Amino acid sequence: MRWSVKGMKVFYAVLIFFTFTSLIIIAGIAVSLITVSSPIFMKYGLDFVLKSVWNPVTEDYGILPALLGTLMTSTIAILIATPLAISLAVFSSEIIPQRFRSFMNSISDLMASLPSVIYGLWGLYVLAPILHNYIMLPLHNYLGFIPLFSTKPTPTNLFTAGVLLAIMIVPFASSIVREAYAAAPYNLKEAAYSIGMTKWEVTKITLGYIKSAIFAGLFLALGRAMGETVAVAMVVGNVPNIPKSLFDVGYTISSLIANQFPNAQAYEYMVPALYGGATLLFLVGLIMNLVGLYFVRKVMIKS
Amino acid sequence: MNKRKLKDKIMLGVISLLAIISAIPILMIIINIYAEGLKYVNLSFLINFPPPPIGGKVGGIGPALVGSLILMSLALVIGGCIGFFTGLYLSEFSHTRLAQYAQLFLQIMVEFPTIIIGLFAYSILVAPLKRFNAFAGAFALSIVIIPYIALNVREAYKSIPHSLKEAAFSLGISHSKVYLKVLLSTARRGVLTALLIGMAKAAGETAPLLFTILGATFLYFEGLDQPINAIPLLIYNFASSPYERWHQVAWGASAVLLSIILAIFIISRLVIKEVRM
Amino acid sequence: MSWAIEINNLNVWYSDKHILKDISFKVPKNIIFAIMGPSGCGKSTLLRAMNRLLELNPNAKVKGQVKINGIDVYNDNVDITWVRRQFGMVFQIPNPFPHLSVYDNVALGPKLNGLVKNKKQLDELVKHALQQAYLWDEVKNDLKKPASMLSGGQQQRLCIARALALKPKIILMDEPTANLDPVASSKIEELMLELKENYTIIIVTHNSQQAARISDYVAFLYMGKLVEVGETSTVFTKPRHELTEKYVVGKIG
Repeated sequence: MRWSVKGMKVFYAVLIFFTFTSLIIIAGIAVSLITVSSPIFMKYGLDFVLKSVWNPVTEDYGILPALLGTLMTSTIAILIATPLAISLAVFSSEIIPQRFRSFMNSISDLMASLPSVIYGLWGLYVLAPILHNYIMLPLHNYLGFIPLFSTKPTPTNLFTAGVLLAIMIVPFASSIVREAYAAAPYNLKEAAYSIGMTKWEVTKITLGYIKSAIFAGLFLALGRAMGETVAVAMVVGNVPNIPKSLFDVGYTISSLIANQFPNAQAYEYMVPALYGGATLLFLVGLIMNLVGLYFVRKVMIKS
Repeated sequence: MNKRKLKDKIMLGVISLLAIISAIPILMIIINIYAEGLKYVNLSFLINFPPPPIGGKVGGIGPALVGSLILMSLALVIGGCIGFFTGLYLSEFSHTRLAQYAQLFLQIMVEFPTIIIGLFAYSILVAPLKRFNAFAGAFALSIVIIPYIALNVREAYKSIPHSLKEAAFSLGISHSKVYLKVLLSTARRGVLTALLIGMAKAAGETAPLLFTILGATFLYFEGLDQPINAIPLLIYNFASSPYERWHQVAWGASAVLLSIILAIFIISRLVIKEVRM
Repeated sequence: MSWAIEINNLNVWYSDKHILKDISFKVPKNIIFAIMGPSGCGKSTLLRAMNRLLELNPNAKVKGQVKINGIDVYNDNVDITWVRRQFGMVFQIPNPFPHLSVYDNVALGPKLNGLVKNKKQLDELVKHALQQAYLWDEVKNDLKKPASMLSGGQQQRLCIARALALKPKIILMDEPTANLDPVASSKIEELMLELKENYTIIIVTHNSQQAARISDYVAFLYMGKLVEVGETSTVFTKPRHELTEKYVVGKIG
């Protein structure tokens, strides 16, 4: 009799142990980032974030170009992905016939689960040449006087990275919108149709109703775009300079880490500098996620 | 009235067009990968060593395939264990502070850049040992999949109707048997899906492996404390290299990786379909 | 006289809400004891306090005693699984494990509790439990079919068989006929009358006619308080309390 009471306690202790382990790992990540990166912040302070220099010989590191690259690629991605993701969600829940719906959703879910290295390979050898020949070159040739298109493009650059990121985050963002769309109350639609609204007008109403979910999806997708590493590293060009136009080659924080880390051990401050970049990424990602989760919770409370 | 109908038609048309555009890449990716990659894939491709950068035959991805399988299994054991029990705790003790914090942190971690996890594994398992090693890679992959597994296991247990939970507890069996036998069999599809999602992640992640296993291209598995290679890492390294020969291997390896992911994806769809029956 | 169950000064709270207030009564062996009252009066809570199923709700707090064979089930040294094995429980919504077969639904409890040594014993136990629940003849050819294929009434009798297979001393029934049609309900009631030969049955019902029809003793619960308890014939014909009278003639409900 007593033994069994003990057995139960052991079982719960196991559960709590593993849950603690998960928490400790997460805490460990934060602690290791901060401790390893602290020398660089001690040495340069805010300059580390605001300077554009990457000189291992003089051990001078500033991460501004990579930070701008991250912001630029993810902005391009989210601008392209937003209309696509919402359209995809509306299309699969409102427009195509019921029996194709689950197929359509499967396609979108499959896209979300493809490894990023596959996107990277495809982006490098298929997407980059297409964008280069049919979009970037014509834009540069005819509209090159606009600063955005002023750089003569190479196939791999910030714009290619942004488009590839857009392709990668569309299915993820759209699945969040799709779930919210399905959860919108049926009587809302009924009411809208009953006063003679057209399908588009009803869709607009429904989208307005689930706008928190749309924000949630977009913020979480933005977080993903900022943190994506290998696919971007394969198509962004990997040059640490301040981007002068959309078509400039550049770096993102994560691709900088991926590229520079293997030879960073040879220098005193490069490891801390790269961990410093990761810390920034961590903070920005944290904010994106918290905002995203805030909107998710708002949706859940509503429904 | 006519103007409204026209607007309706146009907007729905635009939406459909955008939706179709966003579905084009996936089809292109699958077609391109198989068209370019399948021609190199055969049995010896799965077994042989990769070729030298210049000259020679295409060779194979043997070491990377073995490495990937080892890393996946280890990650699934470690991450599966921690993730499963954490998920069970999140579901059944959702009222506790610990569960609430753990859930929030895991939700954030799901979206975390995996390269950060690679750095973490580097600093606690590679730097102290002064050697890239397979275990560090498996550890990093475990951390990547813990939140996926935990949150999906939580969903699976949460979805069990309360009346069935009461029935299980009224049987007078120990709580571990209630959760791990009776209720696990009720939630088995959800739990299985969770593990499949974890497996697909572990199979495809590259960033956590960059600084942990080194990508020992020409070595078969020699022990957990030694460097190895994995398919995603091989694709990344070879595709970014300047050598045509290695690009071909990268395409072939991508066809293999895509097939692994597709297989896991289709199995998980079948599992879910059975639920809806 | 030895009692099947004794309840002394039982109080239950959900968070800050006082659900059961100072409940005390005793239940004799081998009878049907009905707990009746309007919905929300705490009947189901009282039932779940007996086998400590209440603890599934983390907000529930219990004070007081529930004794079986002189042992307080809330004593720290008492094993909760032992407590639950003393009771078989049948619920308001028939809740067989839908993915398990008819056979496995009944066999699961004895198997996991180690009540049987081999397959043959298990087969016999399952058959006996199904016979006791009046279900054997209807399902003996479908033992391997999933339980979800059975009708509502059959599912409920399967749940009774599942409870009986654990060889409990007391059977708790939480409005077992509330979701069944009249024919299936009367079958369950018949079954209960049969079962009281060997078991003590405690049934919760919001239907005073059902309580009058089948119970030997009845307790009337109102807003968390025990208003009246006694032999069914007395309570229904000569209620001591005005509230009870109102309830049995259908003025509260």
